[in-house]
Amino acid sequence: MVVPLISFILLCPLAAFAVFGILGLANKRFPRQDYLSTAAMLIALACSFLLLREVVPSPEAHTVDWLSLGNVTFSMGFYLDSVTVIMLIVVTLVSSLVHIFSMGYMHDDPRYPRFFAYLSLFSFSMLFLVVSDNLLGIYIGWELVGLCSYLLIGFWFEKDSAANACKKAFLTTRVGDVGMFIGMMMLFTKFQTLSLYGEDGIFTLAASQLTTGDMVWLSIAGVLIFCGAIGKSAQMPLHTWLPDAMEGPTPVSALIHAATMVAAGVYLTARMFPILTETSSLVIAYVGGITALVAATIAIVRFDIKRVLAYSTISQLGYMMLAIGAGSYVAGLFHLTTHAFFKALLFLGSGSVIHAFHAMHAHAHDDEKHDHEHADDEEYILGSEIPPDQDMRNMGGLRHKMPITFITMLIATLSISGVPFIFSGFWSKDKILAGVLGRAMEWNSIHHYILFVIALLAAGITAFYMFRLIFMTFFGEPRNQEMHEMAHESPLSMTVPLIVLALLSFPAVNTLWFNKDYVKPPQQSHLHAPTHAQLAPDTKTGGTGVALSLFGVSEAVAAEEDAGQGTQDVHGDDGHHGSAHTAHTIAMVLSIIVAGLGIFLSWLFYHRRALSAESVATTFRPVYNLFWHKYYFDEFYDGVLVALTVWKARLFARFDGSVVDGIVNGVGLVTRDILAAFVGFFDNRVVDGLVNRVAKITWAIGGRIRRIQTGAIQTYLFVVLVGIVLLILIFRVL
Amino acid sequence: MLLSLMIFIPLLGMIVVLLLPRESEELVKRVTLLFTLIPLALAVYLFITYDRSTAGTQFFHGPVPWIDAFNIQYHIGVDGLSVTLLLLTALLGPICVIASWRNIEKGIKAYMALFLLLETGMLGFFAALDLFLFYVFFELTLLPMYFLIGIWGGPRREYAAIKFFLYTLFGSVLMLVAMIAVYLNSNIVNGVAEGLRTFDIPTLITLAATQGHALADSDFQIWVFLGFFIGFAVKVPIFPFHTWLPDAHVEAPTAISVILAGILLKMGTYGLVRVNMAMFPQGLDHFTNGIGFWGNSLALLGFINIVYGSFCALAQTDFKKLVAYSSIGHMGFVILGLAARNDPGITGAILQMFNHGVISAMLFLLVGVLYDRAHHREINGFGGLGTRMPIYTGITTLAFMASLGLPGLSGFVGEALSLLGAYDKFKFLTILSTIGIVVGAAYFLWTLQRVFLGTLNPKYEALSEINGREILTLVPLAILTVLLGVWPNLAIDMFRESVTNLINVLHAI
Repeated sequence: MVVPLISFILLCPLAAFAVFGILGLANKRFPRQDYLSTAAMLIALACSFLLLREVVPSPEAHTVDWLSLGNVTFSMGFYLDSVTVIMLIVVTLVSSLVHIFSMGYMHDDPRYPRFFAYLSLFSFSMLFLVVSDNLLGIYIGWELVGLCSYLLIGFWFEKDSAANACKKAFLTTRVGDVGMFIGMMMLFTKFQTLSLYGEDGIFTLAASQLTTGDMVWLSIAGVLIFCGAIGKSAQMPLHTWLPDAMEGPTPVSALIHAATMVAAGVYLTARMFPILTETSSLVIAYVGGITALVAATIAIVRFDIKRVLAYSTISQLGYMMLAIGAGSYVAGLFHLTTHAFFKALLFLGSGSVIHAFHAMHAHAHDDEKHDHEHADDEEYILGSEIPPDQDMRNMGGLRHKMPITFITMLIATLSISGVPFIFSGFWSKDKILAGVLGRAMEWNSIHHYILFVIALLAAGITAFYMFRLIFMTFFGEPRNQEMHEMAHESPLSMTVPLIVLALLSFPAVNTLWFNKDYVKPPQQSHLHAPTHAQLAPDTKTGGTGVALSLFGVSEAVAAEEDAGQGTQDVHGDDGHHGSAHTAHTIAMVLSIIVAGLGIFLSWLFYHRRALSAESVATTFRPVYNLFWHKYYFDEFYDGVLVALTVWKARLFARFDGSVVDGIVNGVGLVTRDILAAFVGFFDNRVVDGLVNRVAKITWAIGGRIRRIQTGAIQTYLFVVLVGIVLLILIFRVL
Repeated sequence: MLLSLMIFIPLLGMIVVLLLPRESEELVKRVTLLFTLIPLALAVYLFITYDRSTAGTQFFHGPVPWIDAFNIQYHIGVDGLSVTLLLLTALLGPICVIASWRNIEKGIKAYMALFLLLETGMLGFFAALDLFLFYVFFELTLLPMYFLIGIWGGPRREYAAIKFFLYTLFGSVLMLVAMIAVYLNSNIVNGVAEGLRTFDIPTLITLAATQGHALADSDFQIWVFLGFFIGFAVKVPIFPFHTWLPDAHVEAPTAISVILAGILLKMGTYGLVRVNMAMFPQGLDHFTNGIGFWGNSLALLGFINIVYGSFCALAQTDFKKLVAYSSIGHMGFVILGLAARNDPGITGAILQMFNHGVISAMLFLLVGVLYDRAHHREINGFGGLGTRMPIYTGITTLAFMASLGLPGLSGFVGEALSLLGAYDKFKFLTILSTIGIVVGAAYFLWTLQRVFLGTLNPKYEALSEINGREILTLVPLAILTVLLGVWPNLAIDMFRESVTNLINVLHAI
């Protein structure tokens, strides 16, 4: 049942897209693309649930030969384990909800059918990526989601900002993809395959063939593959495209740039888990950790509601990377799923707010243009010009106007902030913190202690800026009375997805992650604890107690409380029970404290107004500037690009000379002396100029041929024909 | 016999067209279309019935003695590589005729006649098994091409045509010298002449692998390799012999650009595989064994083509010139893949030949569509056409994505395989070549943005959407692009055995 079910899941959205493509080419309009695409997604969702039963303890890949050479075959296939199924459900579920939401949100758009076709294509590509059992398949899906992201960011391509953003997104991620491709070439050259699983898969071969001498090589390959994830998951230093990607319609931001595509990088890293070495793991953990902290600090000072969420996404993705880099495979993927739901909810909620203001926006558009003429030049150049319907400074007090949006967004915020026990985000974040601290204690590794502190800081800041968003948007007095009066709760098609996603932000639905037998981390045969590590004694070997079961949160909470009281139970997913246990307790207490602190400070600043954000900004002007200018990344890249252009120009100038020089030199026809005389001629103009000179010499011939051309072409052709015939006959006679 | 029929039917068509009255232009076009559709049907038949399980040449005609004095024979036959390229040629034939339906204003009769002559030359070239015949067909494409650019081209057509002619002729002369050298040595074993000299390619391949034969001498092979290589390098074109290409493309009418990029460039790479690689494995080894400068030289040329072509393309503002430079970049992947001399490399290179033929044909057709409407090709002179011409924008996006190597479309497969193969032997050069992937994406996306995105340039508010005839020329190519991207084995099946055979020959030295 596995193969037909997965095939069907893939075919549904693909068919929906194909219908659009074919009718589009025939220049026929099909107005009900929205129903078609949504239905396809819902069917795929149902099939994904059916797949839950098909998960077996030791999964096998189902493959077909895709590209066969003489002695190398590239196969395509499906690999279905518990993680695949969970990803399938997350993708199809969020995608279905976003489809439904878009029916309301995008309804008046002139390219409404096209929007749904793109969503379908995206869903297909993402699902393909998820189920692929080999690197080539993952890469194909990987690039296709990139294409969809490009098309959807640039959906309103009449706007120059959108046209720039989609190009930037594609090119930035492609830089990472090239790294990934080089990593694939390294693996392929070593193992002659790109399949990951099975007897001849990379994982088995790597475990059996590589020796300690190959560890540097494997670390490089691992980091290069991770480059793809850096690009796609918007990790530093390739993160700058994601905030700009907010130029796309908000449902797209929710689906692609929050819940699914950007998480593909985390998924890929998790898939590569078995071949991560100590070094590559540490690189991944640091990239993730630093990204989590830096992006969170940038989010504090943003006023565009979508940009706050974008930086929050970058930060949370960093968190997941950190988890996987620190060896907490399950925690990273768990956070991926909880984040997918609450971040999709936050984006759709912000979409609901923007939608409420949208009529206003259209109305105020002319005035806005005038304002811009006087707008702060610097701000304009930096592209931080905020559409008024997304500017939190225009909002406030919306909780009465939009109660459903408010309550659902509040739930998501509580979840992302890590408010304990009843919100899913707490559990996944806690697991990550515990995992990092556990590794630190287990290995006695200073790196992981630093990473733990970074993660903790990021958690506090996250709670702070998320509540800042809630307070600025929904509490207090309306800041823009005119816009406030226009605001209204969104239609049912938009609020229902919000409610569903809000329900998904409670841990009860995420119970699969608490089941140790369901999701198991793969072996990391190449990851060895550093030699200086003092491994904590394994206090309870063979412990089989499953703390948390499928039955839900109550037991999970009970088990966690047990753990808090000091019973020896299995925790985390690493099996190093002693340190993991202590780590878990410490991490949980600390995470609750920083989350509480963050929320409290946010309350003081933005609700109680006991502290003034402005005065703090003035006091710490340099720091504020750093955050406001996003650590000057964009400025730096523009500078580098300009430098590259100059370099390119110089390259052109020197290229012909040196290369032609090399050819002449190497041919060995001419001696050094003759060569020296020739260098003068063979500058870059000669390649072209020589021909022109010869052309002039033969101009006379050209002139004659030209005379033949004009008018007498038939004659000429007959001459050619007769010539050929004569040639054949004459030689035949000879 | 079937093959001969296929090759000479366009020539017959030329005679028929020349006999038609000058005034009946519609009739001329229809007759031409008919005479290009017949080879297409035959090529499809060839493609279907070709026995994919063997490496040997099939559908022989000959050897029939032709010029006895020099033991020159009429000998044609196809292996998987030839069939693939014959199919491409035969497919582009009718597409180009349809593309020329409206926009050739003068002398349509002569134009069509020359086009048919060109097609015979191209088809014959890919099927020839006698080195002399091979050369005759190679030169036969030169004349019609010269006139097609020189008469129906743009403002600087004469300059471009002569440049093209001289460049190719320069290469052909070296090739001719090398060919004669091969012929003269073809009967010398251990310094003693025995038997007849020959131009027969299969025979020469066997002789070149025979111990003690003059053709098997490694120094001899290196020199002859160079002679042929320069001849083909001009056609590919390989840096620094590439400067004829942008000029020829810019001046040539749309359909001729399509043939130029789609087929003529492939004649160069096909020659490299058919003659340089198969006949002179020791010469090849000298330039691709990865040791020292010479051992890396072919891969280096591939790398230069990729990066140089891509950066040049990035700097262009003429839409057609941009596509022309992108061709140079893409042919670099072919060279890189061939230099790797392994399974993925050679297969990737051959796939890249075919796919580039299809994709660049699409690109030039698309440029033509725009030029016919706006009468200029200045990229910065457009803007926002996406709102005005959604279908045209969609097809262009598809072609661009295929060309920049988006997986799922055919361009990716050849490119990726070439790189995978090349990495095995030329790690450093291959990693550097991946710069081309990023730059390739950059110039296409930037062009997409400048032409189609943003606000609509008010000058083009009345621009009409792509019409049915133009879509008809593009759809078969678009289908092929998607089909081979999803199902690359469809093409690889054709030449897998030939490639294995070639690799065996290369490893036998």
